[in-house]
Amino acid sequence: MIGRRQLLGAATASLALAKVAGVQAAAAAGAVTARGLPAGLPRGADGRLARLATLDLESLQDFTLGFRVLYGKKLRIASAEAFDRLLEKEGIDPTTPMSPHEVAALAEKDPIITVATRTWLANQQVTWKTLQDHFHKYSDHYFSEMEAADNSGPGTLELAPNMTIPDYARHEIHIQPGGYVGDPFAGHVYHYGTNSFYIAVIGHNEQDQVHKGTAERLPVPADGKVKRILDMGCGSGQLTVALKERFPDAEVWGIDVGGPMVRYAHMRSRRLGVGANFAQRLAEDTKFPDNYFDIVTSYIIHHELPQVKTRQVIDEARRVTRSGGVYYPIDFNSGGAKSPPRSMFGRWWDHRWNNEVWSLEYHSLNFTDEIAQRGFGMVKDAKAALPGFGVRHAIKQA
Amino acid sequence: MATPESKRPTYAAEAIPSDVTTSSFLGNPVLDNVVSCMIAMSAEMWATKRRMKVLEAVLAKSGIAADKIEKYVPTPQETLEWEQDRDRYLDLVVGPLSNAGYRNFSSDFDKR
Repeated sequence: MIGRRQLLGAATASLALAKVAGVQAAAAAGAVTARGLPAGLPRGADGRLARLATLDLESLQDFTLGFRVLYGKKLRIASAEAFDRLLEKEGIDPTTPMSPHEVAALAEKDPIITVATRTWLANQQVTWKTLQDHFHKYSDHYFSEMEAADNSGPGTLELAPNMTIPDYARHEIHIQPGGYVGDPFAGHVYHYGTNSFYIAVIGHNEQDQVHKGTAERLPVPADGKVKRILDMGCGSGQLTVALKERFPDAEVWGIDVGGPMVRYAHMRSRRLGVGANFAQRLAEDTKFPDNYFDIVTSYIIHHELPQVKTRQVIDEARRVTRSGGVYYPIDFNSGGAKSPPRSMFGRWWDHRWNNEVWSLEYHSLNFTDEIAQRGFGMVKDAKAALPGFGVRHAIKQA
Repeated sequence: MATPESKRPTYAAEAIPSDVTTSSFLGNPVLDNVVSCMIAMSAEMWATKRRMKVLEAVLAKSGIAADKIEKYVPTPQETLEWEQDRDRYLDLVVGPLSNAGYRNFSSDFDKR
C-alpha cells in the first residue's frame, strides 16, 4: 500500500504544515490527560489533516481502514461469488435484470454473504463509535475550538439553529450515529470516518487529494468568468475548500443542511487559512439571488436525496446559475430500477445495510436526463471531474 | 441520539435512527454478537500492536518519555511497513471469514 506521505510529497507536506505551525507550537506544550486535551492540536497535523488527538484513536481508525481494504480484496469478492453460486443453484440467468426485492430475498439465504455483511457492519460501527466516543469525551475542548472559529475568518459561517430539518435529511446515512444533523461533532466524525471509505473505493484522501483533484477538473464557463461558486450539500467542506484554493479570488460558498457539518467545515477551512463561506441552508432552497453563480456543483449528495428533492435541487441550481454558467453535480452513475443481479446486489446492499436510505430512488432515476429536462444544455463528451462517477456537465441556457 | 451533556449550543437536531444495529444476519443473534466482539477485539489488539511499534521505535531513537511516544510521527518507511503488517494481521484474523465453506455440515458431507 502506498503511504500517504509518499502520495503527498515532502514539499507539499512542508507547505501545508507551515500553515498550521502556529497551532502545532501551541500543542507542543501539553499532552492528553484524563481531564482533557491541551489547547490546539494535541498531536499536531499530518499535512492538511489534524492528527487525531490520541495515538490509540488513530490506531483504531487505522484498523478500520485496513479492514475496509481487506473487505474489498477478500470478503466482498467471496460474497459476490457466493451470490453467483446462489444464482446458479436457483437457475437464474446472471444477465437477467432483477429488482432489489428479488436480490434481497436471494442474498439472505447465504451464510458467506451474511457473515461478510455482519463483519462489515461491525467494522463500520467501530469506526463511528470510537470517533464519537472520543469527541464526546473531550467535548469541552472541541466545542471551544468551534466556538473560537464561529465568528472569525477567513471566510464566514452562518448557522440556522431554528431551521426545521426536513425528515429526508435526518437519517443516519452510512449508519453514522446521529447522521449529519444529530450529533454536535457530526462533521468531525464524518471527516475522519470517511477516510477509510476513500481508501477502499477511490484512493487516499487524508490530504484532500480526491477533492483537490475534483476541484481541479471541474469545468469553467466558456467565457472563463468565475466570480462565484456554490457547493450544494458541502458536508465537511473539503470540496468547497479545494474550490476556493483553485479560485482564490472567487466568492465560494458551501451549504449543508447539517449545522454541525458546516460548523466543522468553517473551522477547518479557517485552520487551513482558506476564506470559503459556509452556511446551514437547504440545497433546494439556497436563499441566493437568481443568476448569482458562475459554477454550481455538489459532491455525491443526490444519491442521499429522495427523487422529489433531487428535482427541486436541480431547479434551484438552475435558478441560481447565471446564463452560460456551469452546473456540474457529481454523483454515482445511476442505473435504473432493475439491473443484472450482481450489480443490483451491490446497490441493494449499500441501500439496506449502509443505510443509504434514498439510493435506490436515485438509481431508478435517469439523473442526467432530469438535468437536461430542466433548462440545461448537456455538454457532449464531457470529462469526469471525479473519475469513475457519473459525468453531468450542464450549461444553463439563456 | 446521545449527545454530550452541555449547555453550549450544539446546532444538532433529532436524527432518525438506523435499524441496522438491531439486525441479525447469522441465524442466531449470539453469533452476530460474537462476530462484532471479534471485530472490536481485533481493532483493540491492532491499536495495542501499533502503540508497541511506536514505543519500540521511540525507545530505539530517543529515550522513554511517554510524551515523545505519543507524538511520534512514523517515517515513510515505517508507515509502509506498518501498513503491510496491518494487512497481514487482518488477513490472518479476518481472512478466514472468506473461506468457501458454503456446503452445510451434515453426516453425508462428501469426503474428498
